[in-house]
Amino acid sequence: MLDQTSLVGAAAPPLVCARAIAKSYGGAKALRGVDIEIAPGEVHGLVGANGAGKSTLIKVLAGLTQPDAGQVLVDGQAVGPLNPQAATQLGMSFIHQELAFVPGMTVLQNIMLGVPKKTRAGLVDWRAIARDIAPIVERVGITAPLNANVKGLSTAENWLINICRALVRKARLIVMDEPTASLSAHEAEKLFAIIRDLSASGVAVLYVSHRLDEILDLCHRVTVFRDGESVAEIGRDELTRPRLVEAIVGKPMAATAPLAARNTSGAPVLEVINLARHPRVRGVSLTLRRGEVLGIGGLVGAGRSELARLIYGADRPDAGTMSLEGQPFAPRSPAAAVKAGLGLVPEERRTEALFLSKSVAFNLQLTNMDKMGALGPLLSFKKRETLALQIVRDLAVKTQSPDTPVGRLSGGNQQKVVIGRWLLRAPKILILDEPTRGVDIGARGEIHRLIRQLAAQGMAVLVISSEPDELPDLCDRVLVMAEGRMVAEFTGPEVTRQAIVSASYEAQAAERIVS
Amino acid sequence: MSQATTQRRLSPGAKAALGIFARYATILGLVLMIIAFSVLSPRAFPTLSNFTNVLNQASLAMIIAGGLTLAVVVGELDLSIGFAASLHGVLVTGLIVSNKLPIPVAILIIIAAGALIGLVNGLIVTKLKVNSVIATLGVGTILTGLAFAYSAGVPIVAGVPEAFLQISLGRWLFGIPNNIIFMVLVLGGLWVLVERTAIGQEIQAVGGNPAAARLAGIDVDKIKILGFVISGMCAALTGILLASRLGSGTTSAADSYLLTAFAAVFLGSATLRDGEFHVFGTFIGALIIAFGFNGLNIFGAPTFSQFVFQGAILIVAVGLSSLGRMLAES
Repeated sequence: MLDQTSLVGAAAPPLVCARAIAKSYGGAKALRGVDIEIAPGEVHGLVGANGAGKSTLIKVLAGLTQPDAGQVLVDGQAVGPLNPQAATQLGMSFIHQELAFVPGMTVLQNIMLGVPKKTRAGLVDWRAIARDIAPIVERVGITAPLNANVKGLSTAENWLINICRALVRKARLIVMDEPTASLSAHEAEKLFAIIRDLSASGVAVLYVSHRLDEILDLCHRVTVFRDGESVAEIGRDELTRPRLVEAIVGKPMAATAPLAARNTSGAPVLEVINLARHPRVRGVSLTLRRGEVLGIGGLVGAGRSELARLIYGADRPDAGTMSLEGQPFAPRSPAAAVKAGLGLVPEERRTEALFLSKSVAFNLQLTNMDKMGALGPLLSFKKRETLALQIVRDLAVKTQSPDTPVGRLSGGNQQKVVIGRWLLRAPKILILDEPTRGVDIGARGEIHRLIRQLAAQGMAVLVISSEPDELPDLCDRVLVMAEGRMVAEFTGPEVTRQAIVSASYEAQAAERIVS
Repeated sequence: MSQATTQRRLSPGAKAALGIFARYATILGLVLMIIAFSVLSPRAFPTLSNFTNVLNQASLAMIIAGGLTLAVVVGELDLSIGFAASLHGVLVTGLIVSNKLPIPVAILIIIAAGALIGLVNGLIVTKLKVNSVIATLGVGTILTGLAFAYSAGVPIVAGVPEAFLQISLGRWLFGIPNNIIFMVLVLGGLWVLVERTAIGQEIQAVGGNPAAARLAGIDVDKIKILGFVISGMCAALTGILLASRLGSGTTSAADSYLLTAFAAVFLGSATLRDGEFHVFGTFIGALIIAFGFNGLNIFGAPTFSQFVFQGAILIVAVGLSSLGRMLAES
């Protein structure tokens, strides 16, 4: 769009080119026709806020998911439907955040995973293979012995092994997803040197990262995604931090209707001081007040869900203290936290919150069995039914009956069941982690209204969201978290999408300088 | 390729039909088996005394399988039950014969020992995070060793008092064998516990989704330990009743209950519910196995066929169980 000149050989066709790729999951459009073009030997950056569509595009290129529309070209030739084997044969290699490894096997075995191997008399000839790949190993700089078990190796070394694997497969494009997320600054420098070396030798790298410094440092060209569209392609000469942030955040949108009353003056319910659990949460302090909705914004991986788990007793902190209504609070388990008056709506509804094959009533009852007593230890199923019907009606859960398995409900209605579980308990603090992920727009509005209503009744509500528009709609106050720390706070009218997104990125620049 | 496999879906009609088949296949199988045996052997099979006899024989397996049901409902396996029951049989006769303990005291001690073994299993699984298959296999093997150490491998036969034999051999109300009464009380109690109490709902929740149960504020470890304790207590009761029926404490006498219990539990999970373990299902499962063996006996089938039957029914049971779960989840 903007800069069509590629660095290496202007006349050569782009190595990989994706055109007008569209993909929807259910009703949600993840990609609305994105374009990206990667030249041979180029380090190409791909940036965008959470949910902008970066991961979906990677999945399409890797052949892990099929696009609804659009085309992928390699060397200027259109390729058919991709699958992982075809993508490998075309010279594309993918290194994901969660590295794929067979833990019990050696470095060499992991490098050669899935690659046809030299044999001698029917047996794999590891010695010959080691000799053959020695130059690659040396070039990437793996120092661990090839016969070492990968289990004991650092994340950085695992990255190197993955790069080796890509090169052994003769990759011409290596896609790296958040490569430095778990690397130290020194290790990252080493990785950058390798990336530059790869580039110089003609191997292209698609570098996907939230870390703009690295993008500015490394990339010849950057494509920016926003809300499932490719909104900018920025060449090396125009590449600056403000230009990138502007493209990622977008134009200021029409201001959302301000909430009637921003309530940030209630009595403190929860005080968190320097809470830490390495490496994701690195000293967080916050105060949560009665009757307020406090949002926590930030990029995926900033440590927000991990913080919620610490407060809720699901994980134990390494350091820091908490107090609940002035009393020391150190829950040993979620059960203890619930007893103390907390509730959690977890991030992954299907795996962390629901019993999918069980009925709506079963899913609602677990936190409310004290209200369903009959004779002695027996439960009254009549009371359970009344209770379930009440919640179903109050929250307008669309279900045939309370006996319907909860797995048959839509995402929005499932989420209402998870929230409904806590309603009758009226916890002092309700933590909601991505409360409207995968929820349709109608249910989203209802859930937002419900959250406001709960706060109005005096509950202290903590909302974690990666959706840039959600927190301004919902919260009295928003804290922004980056790299395990709180980096910004916005109150009332300051709470805007732009403020949150820019703070997420800017904080990280400051973080770099400090470390 | 991956797409082809993900898109291989059944039509809703076929799915519903398969689901109904999976839910009622076991009960249908039981009914068909009873009809078939009745037709083939009208004199010996369909009589009240034979049915009472089958149920009497099956009661011990039903009790131990009922306990195992609790362990599998909380999402674990308990392989120690058969070995534990054998040890309990040896111990209870030893306590009565050698230590001259009153029978009720001996029984209470053994039930408590069963609970203790369950507690140990539960602690190993939840606190040491040892896979339950390995943990209970290890514990079970140790228990076998203890049984040999205690009895030197020689059955304790002499001096078993008549009153102890009468526990299993006696009859009560309307001449119903005691074993059947014990079985009904135990399974009834377990059914109420699992289906009708708050603890039971937590037990089901832990088995259904441990991560979600934990985040809903349930003490998952405690519930799992409880499952093992109940399994251990039921194994103790079965061991006592078997010793009473055999009139001796014999090492390895109850070992074979392990397979029967597992087959019953898995057949039961395919009964009426989609691969979910439940007490009533276990009862039906044990009934199928009992009638199957009874039929084989009546027709004088050779011994090897009983092993074939037992092995085959275990595989069919687990197959039906996972079919049900697959259909429920798809």
